[in-house]
Amino acid sequence: MDPILILQAVVSGVLASGLYALVSVGLALAIGVIGIVNFAHGEFFMIGAFLTYQLFVSFGVDPVLSLLFVAPALFLLGAVLYRTTIQYVLEAPELNQMLLTFGIGIVLQNLALLIWGGDPVSISGIAYRSVGFRIGGISVGLVSLVSFAISIVLVGSLYLALSRSRTGRAMRAVAQNRIGASLVGLEVNRVYLVAFALSALLAGIGGVMIAVIQSPTPTIGLAFTLKAFSIVVLAGLGNIRGILAASLVVALAESLVATLVPNGGTLSNAVFFAIIFLALVWRSRRTA
Amino acid sequence: MSPNVRNRLRDLIPVLLFAVALWFLPDLLRSWSGRASVSYLSLVTNGLGLAVLALSWDILARTGQLSLAHAAFYGAGAYVTAILARLEVGPLWLGIPAAGAFAVLLALGLGVVTLRLKGIYFAIATLAFTEVLRSAVRQLPTSFAGGSAGMNVAPLFRPAFDPETMERWEIAFLRNEGYFLLYAGLLLLTIGLSLWTRRSRLRPAFTAVRTNEEVAGVMGVHPARMKLLAFALSSLSVGMLGAIHAHRVGSVIPEGAFAVSTTVFALVTPIFGGLYTTLGPILGAGVLAGIEETLKRNLADGYLIGYGLVLVLSILFMPRGIVGMVRGIARRRRAARAGVTSEGGEA
Amino acid sequence: MTADANAVLEIRSLAKRFGGLAAVDDLSFHVRPGEIFAIIGPNGAGKTTTLNLLSGLLIPTAGRIHLSGREIQHLPSFERTHLGLGRAFQVVQPFPEMTVRENVQVGALFGTPGIDRAEGDRRTDAALERTGLTRIAGQSAEELTLLQEKRLEIARALATDPTVLMLDEVMAGLRPGEARQAVELVRDVRESGVTIVFIEHVMPVVRDLADRVLVMDHGRFLAEGSYTEVTADPAVIEAYLGRDDDGTGDEDPDRDDREDPR
Repeated sequence: MDPILILQAVVSGVLASGLYALVSVGLALAIGVIGIVNFAHGEFFMIGAFLTYQLFVSFGVDPVLSLLFVAPALFLLGAVLYRTTIQYVLEAPELNQMLLTFGIGIVLQNLALLIWGGDPVSISGIAYRSVGFRIGGISVGLVSLVSFAISIVLVGSLYLALSRSRTGRAMRAVAQNRIGASLVGLEVNRVYLVAFALSALLAGIGGVMIAVIQSPTPTIGLAFTLKAFSIVVLAGLGNIRGILAASLVVALAESLVATLVPNGGTLSNAVFFAIIFLALVWRSRRTA
Repeated sequence: MSPNVRNRLRDLIPVLLFAVALWFLPDLLRSWSGRASVSYLSLVTNGLGLAVLALSWDILARTGQLSLAHAAFYGAGAYVTAILARLEVGPLWLGIPAAGAFAVLLALGLGVVTLRLKGIYFAIATLAFTEVLRSAVRQLPTSFAGGSAGMNVAPLFRPAFDPETMERWEIAFLRNEGYFLLYAGLLLLTIGLSLWTRRSRLRPAFTAVRTNEEVAGVMGVHPARMKLLAFALSSLSVGMLGAIHAHRVGSVIPEGAFAVSTTVFALVTPIFGGLYTTLGPILGAGVLAGIEETLKRNLADGYLIGYGLVLVLSILFMPRGIVGMVRGIARRRRAARAGVTSEGGEA
Repeated sequence: MTADANAVLEIRSLAKRFGGLAAVDDLSFHVRPGEIFAIIGPNGAGKTTTLNLLSGLLIPTAGRIHLSGREIQHLPSFERTHLGLGRAFQVVQPFPEMTVRENVQVGALFGTPGIDRAEGDRRTDAALERTGLTRIAGQSAEELTLLQEKRLEIARALATDPTVLMLDEVMAGLRPGEARQAVELVRDVRESGVTIVFIEHVMPVVRDLADRVLVMDHGRFLAEGSYTEVTADPAVIEAYLGRDDDGTGDEDPDRDDREDPR
């Protein structure tokens, strides 16, 4: 086992964990504040990626710039979805919420498939895409590094905003006690709207980054939804620091398997889901 | 006539009529539409398959277990029969009951392990299970299970062509008819299972477990046993469906056998038709299979969008499905006619 | 605390810890057959936790529970029910989409193993009769008044043919006239040979019904005896007075979080 290889895998894993954390934190916001199990969360991520791609291909917009467009676009999408559908199932049984968001996810995913087809798309021809550093024997891509940095900054900012800002405090109040919060005058529905739109925005930003790092297909939405859920579940609800840790664990596992196990690339997905499955089962046994 | 016997007849008669209708349908189609009947028959068969998917998912949902692993049992059934066919272990049709049995074992295993999981956690665990299973099958030795390219499956029906009495298309028809009858048989079996869970003491037990497992336990219901029973009943049909479908299509491939769309169909249909009923999933299947053809023709690759929209609109406007909506209207009419509300005095 | 050989229900050194918090600690008491036994105490005393431990919703950290001489603390809920321990819940949860009759049928058919349809019907009818629900037996369980719901809860539990029936704050939310009917019902059930263990906050009801009273505080045994005896006990009085403003902090182990719909 080449130690350089392992170290490379670790570094790649750490860098990838930022993105996972970003997407998961958005989902945690939706589940924690609103109480909605959003099965379509990963689709916001996917839409962010494909908007970036399309902007690049049609108008030559650099992905970095498209952040300025994608972020508000996804915020708007989240808000619209909330107003038109989500807010009506908040009081409904969990089954209904799951199914509603599942349906929304199916619609979004297949719309994307219809528009862009099932093949991977890639943004090629951007100079900084191939820029990297070499430290020791380890290579680190500039894009990966920057994505990681942006993700951490965003997650950190969210954490701070939730604890310090007025809206953040409102969200936490609403998360803990909806009735009490509304009695005190907080407009609960508005808080929910912002939280949901924000979760979409965060996922969308992640999407911008994945468009540059990899070659996404419209089906990555579902995969990321599952991954985000798993991380949130692993971390425990309301635990942002836990999400960072869980993202790290999962990303490292994937990276190590992909690098060290022969044929690991195809297996890494299965490994991920196996970890989730085992983690869920193990957890359920513990709380007896 | 005691109420129990009356209930049994009330169920049995429509089912018998349905069975008779199914029996005569192929010949009727052939005399009506001639050559076109080949594709019509195929269409109806798809509808029957969808009904089996829907009914079996509904049975499991009655215990509150919202499974996203339906595709796992479907795919497992498909592969069992494919592998048995390749190994030439016995007659081809043996693969079907074997597929059912294997699916049940698989379901019991999954069920036991996920007993303490609820709601979204259960759903995700079952979905993760399906993904792992698909990857695992892909990794199996190619000589055994075909790897990621899949493998061929021998057809069940090879009608002989007699140029004196038949036209060419009649071979295809006879083949389709064979599968149609198999699907019909499986559907009748599944209807039987569904009715059993509705008419026997399983109904209060399942509903109790679904409503609140702890309260159910205090009432004396054995929640684990009920949940596992539901899993077994549900997977039996799906496994066999997967197997029959594999023969019908002639091949199995991991992406197809374990496709998420199977699970999607399995859950959208009963929700649209009406959960926790027997008529609901069948009705839903009929309508959706019909719509699907139209959708497929007009939207081609994007027809799943239609399914998604149906799901979304159902949840928003028809959360109790068609059957629930009809019942609600009937109930309100009755109440209006009676003129009084149900506010009784103290008992 | 001497053990009573004739006790139908005996609890010895029962304890339940959640992390560092002891919701129930070293609790011992016994219940005699045919008596009406009340458990009272200030908020957070651990009463509902005790009931949960008895009915199997929680597994004790320590201690033993004997039902008719048999150890049951490690048995799952349904087995305890089969052995004769019934329970009516505080927050009533009727099974939806089923009639009143069907709801009671669950208890009748499954409360004891090996009940066939005919016997189940008999028990269902009997339970409905006892709780005065026969008239609305065909009504949907989703459209009941509070008193009707409570009757249903008791009927369901009765249908399981219990030796000991546990009631959790049955009187909560009832108007005086309704409460009187509920008290009559409880007396009636006892007359038929069922032992009653109940948690209650409404003191007049405890005074009227209870043969013996157990007072809990902070998860521990505080006092036991007749109603007059315990209410005269200075320790009991202090426990109640000192808890006027319920300074127990945010975690209330007495509150059954599982019943919380959210």
